[in-house]
Amino acid sequence: MLDLSARSALNAASAEGDVAVRVVDASFAFGPDASKPVLVSIDFTLKRSEFVILTGPSGAGKTTLLTLIGTLRSVQGGSIVVLGTELKGLSPAGQREVRKKIGFIFQDHNLFDALTAFQTLRLAMELAPVRPSREEALERSHVLLTALGMGDYLHARPGELSTGQKQRVAIARALINDPPLILADEPTASLDHASSKRVIDLVRARIEGQKAAALMVTHDNRIFSAADRIVNMMDGRIESVRQESKRQI
Amino acid sequence: MQSPGLGIRLLALSSRRLAAAFAGMAVAVVVMFVELGLLLGILDSQALMANLVIGDLVVVDEARSNLHKWDTMDRVRISQIGGVAGVAASIPLYQVPMGLKNTDDEAIRRIVVLAFPATEVPLAIGDPREISAALSVPDNVLFDRLSRPIYAKIEPGQNIELDGAQNRVAGLVSIGPDIVNDGAIVMSEGTLLSRRPNVRPIMGIIRLSPGADLEDTRARIVENLPNDVRVYTPREIRWREIAFTLRSAPIGILFGIGMLAGLVIGSITCYQILFNEIVDRLEQYATLKAMGFSEMFLRRVILEQAILLSWGGFLVGLAASWLVYLYIAGETALLVRLNIVSVSTIFVLATLMSVVAGQLALRRVLNADPAELY
Repeated sequence: MLDLSARSALNAASAEGDVAVRVVDASFAFGPDASKPVLVSIDFTLKRSEFVILTGPSGAGKTTLLTLIGTLRSVQGGSIVVLGTELKGLSPAGQREVRKKIGFIFQDHNLFDALTAFQTLRLAMELAPVRPSREEALERSHVLLTALGMGDYLHARPGELSTGQKQRVAIARALINDPPLILADEPTASLDHASSKRVIDLVRARIEGQKAAALMVTHDNRIFSAADRIVNMMDGRIESVRQESKRQI
Repeated sequence: MQSPGLGIRLLALSSRRLAAAFAGMAVAVVVMFVELGLLLGILDSQALMANLVIGDLVVVDEARSNLHKWDTMDRVRISQIGGVAGVAASIPLYQVPMGLKNTDDEAIRRIVVLAFPATEVPLAIGDPREISAALSVPDNVLFDRLSRPIYAKIEPGQNIELDGAQNRVAGLVSIGPDIVNDGAIVMSEGTLLSRRPNVRPIMGIIRLSPGADLEDTRARIVENLPNDVRVYTPREIRWREIAFTLRSAPIGILFGIGMLAGLVIGSITCYQILFNEIVDRLEQYATLKAMGFSEMFLRRVILEQAILLSWGGFLVGLAASWLVYLYIAGETALLVRLNIVSVSTIFVLATLMSVVAGQLALRRVLNADPAELY
């Protein structure tokens, strides 16, 4: 349990502006009485303008770490500070406020079949601090979908799109509000090489242009070289961290 | 896209699915309409005579606790009331059962005979001048065109046999049957008294002089007459009749249970439709939660769907109920009809039922775990 001074210190560090996520001695376990540990004493920092890939075998704890940072699960042990907010003990309303600042990209697109690509993005824009006008929303949607090679599908419903195209709409949904933190789980699993490159280029552009941070769980080694760091997890612990120098895929 | 449209868009995506959902809800609405329509129809039919009265006050025997209890009053009371200050006319109304011979099968069937002075028509059953003219001829009668079709076809100009005596049908009037009486014949007081000299009026219908105060006149009538009569306004006697029917017969409970059954059917149907809709899209709802949409937003999406189901089902059910009412009214001749009371009551109930079902189904959405998406 962190004392108040420690929490203040962490918040102050985050507020300095260069840290998007700071995980200190975080642990997490499933089951009754937390009998199945999944994360053990994780220490991890994600800076702004940084793109980190989490990799490792199935069951290593990558996704659990992602859900803890995304406030989709409650922190059990240690501390996690995301965008300046300590997540431990955070109220549901506080969790929602943090989530609004995160661009979530899931493995499945999870698009509403009743909504066109534009309507999907417009719905996401309702969470923006300032809700844009319809014209502005249309313009922003068109620009973003075009960057993802989907400019002609602004008014297409999921039923009219391929799996890869649906995933790109879901990625646009995650990025439309220019989130300072992007959390992604296998976002390129259903994409071909060209589409993967577009997505990663777009994420990198957000990282470099808007000082966003991205944490991506992936086994797609085609995109490893685009990351700043590759964190390898094993049995709930961080096994190794590799610094990458190349930024091309 | 504005968020209030999301629920409607989701439900309206498949027109076939939406039509099936509306049909399911409409069944519940029709059940409620039929139950309420029958209840109101029976109550209206039971209070029919009070609705037909053309007068300011009605006098009945003190023992006559309801209009279907045929306690008569002393004929002299009608004359006495006529002498009270403020009374312009005091008109006796007679009601006796007679046997009407069916011209097709010769069977004699009971029919209600209403009688009053030919010069003073106290009931709204047709054009008073035509009724007066027709009844001023001895042995002329008027047949109720709304009678149930058990008396054969009776047309103006034909002769009919009432209690063994011949009468000429001089015209038709509109009264309508109730759950006890199948039909009615109207004759003049003179014709009735020539057959039954000792018959006593069942009701006195009073018209006030211009400018006379209703309550003052009523007080004077009560003061001047013995305590064997009661004085009501037509509106009071109508409500007394409805209250008596509800109190004495369990129809309120019976039809209430029927309506409750409709409500339960509707709630279950609505819940099932919404539940299936939610389960089919649980991951999308969980995604909304992960993105930071509030519980209130999700409530609104589900509520929109519930309201759309309710109102769509209501409109389809209303149209179907109108046809069912026409059929019931045609078959039973009861006053079963759509009115503002029944339409508003069912509308409110249908809306409430969907909102409750929506709230129950919402729990599934609120319990969706966005962490499972990863």
